[in-house]
Amino acid sequence: MRRTRLHLLHMFSGIAIAVLAGIHMVALHLEEVLAFFGVDASEPTSWGAMIARSSQGIWVGIYIALLAFLLYHALYGLRGIILELTPSARKERVITWLFVVVGIAVFIWGSYVPISLLSS
Amino acid sequence: MAEFNPEKITFKVQRYNPENGGAPHLEKFTVPFNKGMTVLDGLLYIKENIDSTLSFRASCRMGICGSCGMLVNNYPHLACHTQIEEFHSDKLTVRPLPNLSIIKDLVVDLTPMFSSHKQIKPYLIRGEAGMEDPNAEFAQSPQELNTFLQFAYCIKCGICLAACPTSASDRLFLGPQAMAQCYRYCADSRDQGQKERLPLVDTDHGVWRCHLAGACSEACPKGLDPALAIQLLKRQLAAEALGLGKRRPPSPVVPPIKESKPKVPYPDFTVKKEK
Repeated sequence: MRRTRLHLLHMFSGIAIAVLAGIHMVALHLEEVLAFFGVDASEPTSWGAMIARSSQGIWVGIYIALLAFLLYHALYGLRGIILELTPSARKERVITWLFVVVGIAVFIWGSYVPISLLSS
Repeated sequence: MAEFNPEKITFKVQRYNPENGGAPHLEKFTVPFNKGMTVLDGLLYIKENIDSTLSFRASCRMGICGSCGMLVNNYPHLACHTQIEEFHSDKLTVRPLPNLSIIKDLVVDLTPMFSSHKQIKPYLIRGEAGMEDPNAEFAQSPQELNTFLQFAYCIKCGICLAACPTSASDRLFLGPQAMAQCYRYCADSRDQGQKERLPLVDTDHGVWRCHLAGACSEACPKGLDPALAIQLLKRQLAAEALGLGKRRPPSPVVPPIKESKPKVPYPDFTVKKEK
């Protein structure tokens, strides 16, 4: 059931992206919605507000989770398209490992910034 | 709608003989039209009266054997099951089924379909040794039969495979025919082979590659719904992966009948034999 688990994770990551990116969109770009719920978020896109968010563990967690789900969803989907258009057992192994390496490298690179901001 | 009754039909048939080389090309034939004439009738007329070198497969002429699948006016049909009148046109273009390699003219190589079919173990698998020497029947209720009955009507004509857009792009894709048959056997209450079959479709070129275009179900000449079978297989796989799969006991063996009912006596002859 390995492929099924990976595919279910692909579906779940799509839902998680919608939720986490939704939180990001509301917090940064829909101040009026936040104001409706009584949350004062003046200039959430300013440098100061961004640094303030980066010092909170919850926001760092949200962004790292969003990055992980986005990378998995995008790379697994792209791998599927490539394997469908150029099917070959040998190529399949090469592409899978290439995508795993690229995914891990981008994840480390992308999560380094929020973690370093949190610890600073 | 005006009655369709032309005197003649122009058949444009794709010709290709790999032994002679050259590219596939269309050849025109004019065939007299009769009411109720099928595409196969037209092709048989061409073969018998115009060009005996035209190659195509056909056998039963009643939509049972699945031999005469071909692309008629750019849509896969069984030639014997398709009346010319359906097209409301006096011009027909007949080509071999796509997604399969051509052997000659309208004859395609169905080996990939049959090897995929064989791969999914299309037979009842039972754990017990009784299968080696079957001497009794497995009990099955009509409700249990209905869970897979439509998929048992597959005639292996290859039309679903020809209509499938995924089969067109992914030559390793198992195809709707094989996967529908995989579901047919997995859903059979007499079968215990799910553990052997499900991993065969849980691959990169198995059920999860299906885009649910539904072209297979639309094209199937027997009215089967292979796309539904693939979705039901996905559900089974997901349930197994999440540990929600239902364990059903296999159908019990019905003991052989010891005493058969007395046969109904033959009625007396109404006309007495003269002595």
